[in-house]
Amino acid sequence: MTEIATLPPPRGISIFSEAQGRIPGNKGIWVGIYCEMTEFALMFTVYFLAKSHFPAVFQEGPTRLATSAGTANTVFMLTSSFFVVRALHAVRGDRIKSAIRWLFLALMMGLSYLVVKFLEYRWYTSQGIRISSSAFFTVYYYLTLNHLVHVFWGSLGILFVLVRTKMGAYSSQGYEGLEAFASYWHAIDLAWLGIFPLLYVLR
Amino acid sequence: MSPERRCDYVWIFLIGLTLVSAWIAEASFEAGLGITLLVAAIIGIKGRMVIDHFMELPHANRRIRFMMRLYFLMLPLITLLVHLFGDAIARATSIS
Repeated sequence: MTEIATLPPPRGISIFSEAQGRIPGNKGIWVGIYCEMTEFALMFTVYFLAKSHFPAVFQEGPTRLATSAGTANTVFMLTSSFFVVRALHAVRGDRIKSAIRWLFLALMMGLSYLVVKFLEYRWYTSQGIRISSSAFFTVYYYLTLNHLVHVFWGSLGILFVLVRTKMGAYSSQGYEGLEAFASYWHAIDLAWLGIFPLLYVLR
Repeated sequence: MSPERRCDYVWIFLIGLTLVSAWIAEASFEAGLGITLLVAAIIGIKGRMVIDHFMELPHANRRIRFMMRLYFLMLPLITLLVHLFGDAIARATSIS
């Protein structure tokens, strides 16, 4: 018993130690963000391997995609991220009404992304482009459907923090939840910043 | 410069890079080394800007910052490697 009592305290094993600097939001959200980034890293690996094996298919595939839809959705994702940052700045300055407006605009951007993606898929279907059309489209649907799911629940997340902001949950004295959500939403944006150039631009 | 104003400029710059990407896609350039380098550079720059200015990681936990920045260094680098050594990667990953 004496030996146990004199043991030194266990060393911290968390990679998210506060000693390494401030953690935006909270540790939990960063575990989620790294899970998400790992998931997309695996999907990007599939993309790179498929492209190495079927270069001709990956050269032709992007020419059949709607660049305008991909570009519009990149603008929507970047703009929603920007609006969320501005909402965070507003909360830090106790400008709650302004924060609510920014979050509402961010939600509109998220919903716009979903509408454009739905119309884009519908157009591809009418063109006879399906998940089994080629290795490129298998990877295309695999990556973009997965991202779509993230944007969908991310938009629900915006709605959640919007309601919480209206209820007075955040102020300059405490905004951990909003900052955690903002970090997650930016990670969803980051995933799209990889998807758009690889699938729509590079051929 | 206030953080708000800095973010405004970052957003405008990011939208500008997106329009450059759209132009590259619509111009239907052949996927030569130059275009691949340009697209890879845009991926890296946009990722780094979101990480530094929107996620606000420059003064945050250094391990979080390191891993996020590394991600957007590796993604363009692998894009370039696949362009240069796609055949070799395909041979190395074939089952036969």
